Amino acid sequence: MTKPHLNMAYRKVNGHGQSITSKPSHTNCGIHLLRRTGTHNICMVSDFFYPNMGGVESHIYQLSQCLIERGHKVIIVTHAYGNRKGIRYLTSGLKVYYLPLKVMYNQSTATTLFHSLPLLRYIFVRERVTIIHSHSSFSAMAHDALFHAKTMGLQTVFTDHSLFGFADVSSVLTNKLLTVSLCDTNHIICVSYTSKENTVLRAALNPEIVSVIPNAVDPTDFTPDPFRRDDSVITIVVISRLVYRKGIDLLSGIIPELCQKYSDLNFIVGGEGPKRIILEEVRERYQLHDRVRLLGALEHQDVRDVLVQGHIFLNTSLTEAFCMAIVEAASCGLQVKSCEYQVGGIPEVLPDNLIILCEPSVKSLCNGLEKAISQLKSGTLPDPEKIHNRVKTFYTWRNVAERTEKVYDRVSREAVLPMDKRLNRLISHCGPVTGCTFALLAVLNFLFLIFLRWLTPDSVIDIAVDATGPQGAWTQQYSFSKKGEDNKEISESR
Amino acid sequence: MEERRSISDIYGGRLALQRRSYSPSCREFCLGCPRLSLRSLTAATCAVWLVAYGLFALCQNSMVLSTAIFITLLGLLGYLHFVKIDQETLLIIGSLGIQMTSSYASGKESTTFIEMGKVKDVVINEAIYMQKVIYYLCILLKDPVEPQRVSQVVPVFQSAKPRLDCLIEVYRSCQEILAHQAVTSTSP
Repeated sequence: MTKPHLNMAYRKVNGHGQSITSKPSHTNCGIHLLRRTGTHNICMVSDFFYPNMGGVESHIYQLSQCLIERGHKVIIVTHAYGNRKGIRYLTSGLKVYYLPLKVMYNQSTATTLFHSLPLLRYIFVRERVTIIHSHSSFSAMAHDALFHAKTMGLQTVFTDHSLFGFADVSSVLTNKLLTVSLCDTNHIICVSYTSKENTVLRAALNPEIVSVIPNAVDPTDFTPDPFRRDDSVITIVVISRLVYRKGIDLLSGIIPELCQKYSDLNFIVGGEGPKRIILEEVRERYQLHDRVRLLGALEHQDVRDVLVQGHIFLNTSLTEAFCMAIVEAASCGLQVKSCEYQVGGIPEVLPDNLIILCEPSVKSLCNGLEKAISQLKSGTLPDPEKIHNRVKTFYTWRNVAERTEKVYDRVSREAVLPMDKRLNRLISHCGPVTGCTFALLAVLNFLFLIFLRWLTPDSVIDIAVDATGPQGAWTQQYSFSKKGEDNKEISESR
Repeated sequence: MEERRSISDIYGGRLALQRRSYSPSCREFCLGCPRLSLRSLTAATCAVWLVAYGLFALCQNSMVLSTAIFITLLGLLGYLHFVKIDQETLLIIGSLGIQMTSSYASGKESTTFIEMGKVKDVVINEAIYMQKVIYYLCILLKDPVEPQRVSQVVPVFQSAKPRLDCLIEVYRSCQEILAHQAVTSTSP
């Protein structure tokens, strides 16, 4: 007999011993709340979640927190990260399932389209999920969840976080998969208009079911601090992963050129990646050890400390759906300068007077930087505090959550495609070969689901105790208590 | 005072829950699993024998058949003696401790006793088990060095796996006794 996973974090069902006993007395008020606001039970699915760090991870976390604040029930499903498997609770009762699925490549799980159905179905049933919200097109688990949710007749929403090309083999294949995955999804969210255009073209979608909701930053995390920077020299900050897509080759071209021209110019480069070796070579060849600092990988909480040391933020990304880094930099009061590219979502992110856009070439970037430096020297740049106060109002998570809620409201009124229409849609939309293959797989998945329903009927599955939402045990217990107690509760559970 | 009820386990099978209350601070919960059914015994035996006959037909070696006999006999003995649990009992005595007994189908009994000083709490936890997410009752043990920390988690009713409604009932009784115990131990 296999024992339950004992090495996972133990956790009381409701934080405190007596809370189950006290629960039924609140049920009436819960139903009242449900009627008033029309809340949803949302399940966020993605391969990428904390402890892995990145834009998608923080997007899911922040969005979930704001949705919980608005009274919805939210759970997150991701795969196990090393020893972190089982079920955990984060701040304000956000429940995270770390499923023991095998990781294939780049933190993405392997997909067979079937093996995750038993577990995901069990979770969807026990949590009474009504809307599945998948994130990131790189995540196999997100696509699996969409596929299963449609088989089970649940509403589906998908958020795309990245841009793709159309030309090379890998993007042709992923685009085909995306077409299949999204053709019967209820609604798709993109992070910028460029990304919407890209997704609509890639997946051959009806643009009406695609919404644009930008990312947000937490402005309280990124505040300017002009005393931290050294005003006797000009410091240019670059923070990105050091990979080809982020334009590190361009960066290695402009560093020596500008360093020769200006003697008081320093560079700080934060991030790690395969292209780091190029920057090290440049530094070696031009003897710039004291002027170009390579910091290596940065923790998210250290980013602000690095940003406030600089005057100008440089972003050399070749393609970017929505650049979080430049919003964060602007929020810290830096002058942002960025590389514009035909398929980038960067131009729509910030107003023109906060950002200088350039063509992706060394020459154009140098010109742009020189312009920024001359502005800085003449003192015509706006005050960091003013920039911060402007940027603060642009992108907030509460706003994102409000708009996402509208998408949920709209989706919950729509009908889920029945099986026959879904098969028709697959065959007519995705080409004869792929369409038929996936229609067959959808049928097989449906048969597998019937088998699972026969094996463990829905009535045998225990309904989980809600942590969040209208009847959430956590919300009721802690809504009137101080935040400090919340934190204590969480640190206890770790 | 004795109470007997039929409840269901996580697979939808039947379990018998017996609840005895000896005194306000001493209760016993007894979960009886269904006995080994003739049908599953026949199925397992037939499967082994069919495979054995298949092999015999291929290689014409009578050793295969005698091995099959031994496998069936030893397998059955081992299953009854080490795997199949007929009854699981949780006895909680407020002033003394918690005792868990599992009786195997062969009559073997294994008993674990945890004294009250080591018990930090009794809680219901969630775990991913096979292709399911289940609730289970467990006892948290105190770390002898740091009493605020938990050194070990001991699951209760490991083989019966009752559903949440039964767990909540047991859980409440345990909490009552633990609370009672805490009050009496602090007052002189």
